[in-house]
Amino acid sequence: MGKKNLKKLVVSFFLIFLSTLAALLLRQASLVEQSPSPEFRKKGPDSARIRIFEHSDFGCPACALSHKYLNELLSVYKEEIQLNFKHYPLPELHPNSPKAALYADCAGRQGKFWEFADSLFSEQEKWVRAENPEPFFEGLFRKLGLDAEKLKRCAADPETLKDFNMDVSFGDLKRIDATPTFFVNGERAVGPGQLSEKIRHWESKK
Amino acid sequence: MKETKEQALNWGALLARFAVGGVLVYAGFLKLSAPVEEFAYAIESYRLLPYDLSLLAASVMRWFELYLGVFIIFGVFTRFSVLLSLAVFAAFEFFLLQAIIRNLPITNCGCFGASSSNGIYTEFFLNLVWIILSFFILKKGGSLSVDSLLDRMEENENKK
Repeated sequence: MGKKNLKKLVVSFFLIFLSTLAALLLRQASLVEQSPSPEFRKKGPDSARIRIFEHSDFGCPACALSHKYLNELLSVYKEEIQLNFKHYPLPELHPNSPKAALYADCAGRQGKFWEFADSLFSEQEKWVRAENPEPFFEGLFRKLGLDAEKLKRCAADPETLKDFNMDVSFGDLKRIDATPTFFVNGERAVGPGQLSEKIRHWESKK
Repeated sequence: MKETKEQALNWGALLARFAVGGVLVYAGFLKLSAPVEEFAYAIESYRLLPYDLSLLAASVMRWFELYLGVFIIFGVFTRFSVLLSLAVFAAFEFFLLQAIIRNLPITNCGCFGASSSNGIYTEFFLNLVWIILSFFILKKGGSLSVDSLLDRMEENENKK
């Protein structure tokens, strides 16, 4: 090897070292522990071997797909999986999602969170791009037998907003940028493909 | 006159090196500052690689982009680095083109992380710009670089 190439290699290693150091300093390890969701956003026993945290946006199509898969999974592994739902709407993409999340939480306080969430996901196209999604939401209140007045008061309550904002801040701390993001026993999975891969991995270990 | 034109081309090539290298460093840093699974998810959405390979590609590519960008900016092994970057841009162009042809539901390209990426049509044309600039660097991009500095040092030593 020529002297010139040797010098180039030395410079290369120096540049690789410096840029690696800069990249590692930029990355911040997320050591934040997951806190459980409120009871109405939890499915499955606390003793479950698998704990899944679902950070989701009611307006995102991939979230709807994953949610359907999770429902199928939970119907098979009732005792082995616990699902915790966390709100992480992306309002710049789906401006109606935060409102839907607040209504879902208030439906949860009337015992119908999962029914409300399932309808939001399965009928996503009816409200996600709507200029005024209120008629759809009101139709859903009626369909699920919810007390609409009480639910609207609850959605305007600062306490409800606080719970919702806590979920979003928590998602920020966990450095979530894409939805849906899952944590399966602490391991991150983004999107339905990675989630099913994690579940397959768990099944093969049984 | 000819000298001035040559000088202008050299400065243009230096700017092109900063642009191409800069975009690679920026893309690499953004992906490195986010969890690797997010970039893997973006790769998966092109439906060409299975999950395991997407995760492997995501882990490797973000470091590769960063180093390649740094090498191009400083002009170390410039020709080789630019040829590699051309291969990366060409592969990405293929990913984008097949996504457009297959009408895949991709809302952002994933090239600058999950939250700040372009749509695939915008990225397809932007990527062409990087390819053209890379060819320009291949032709004229050696000046004001570590490579040219070492060449001059060697020449001076030989003269002595």
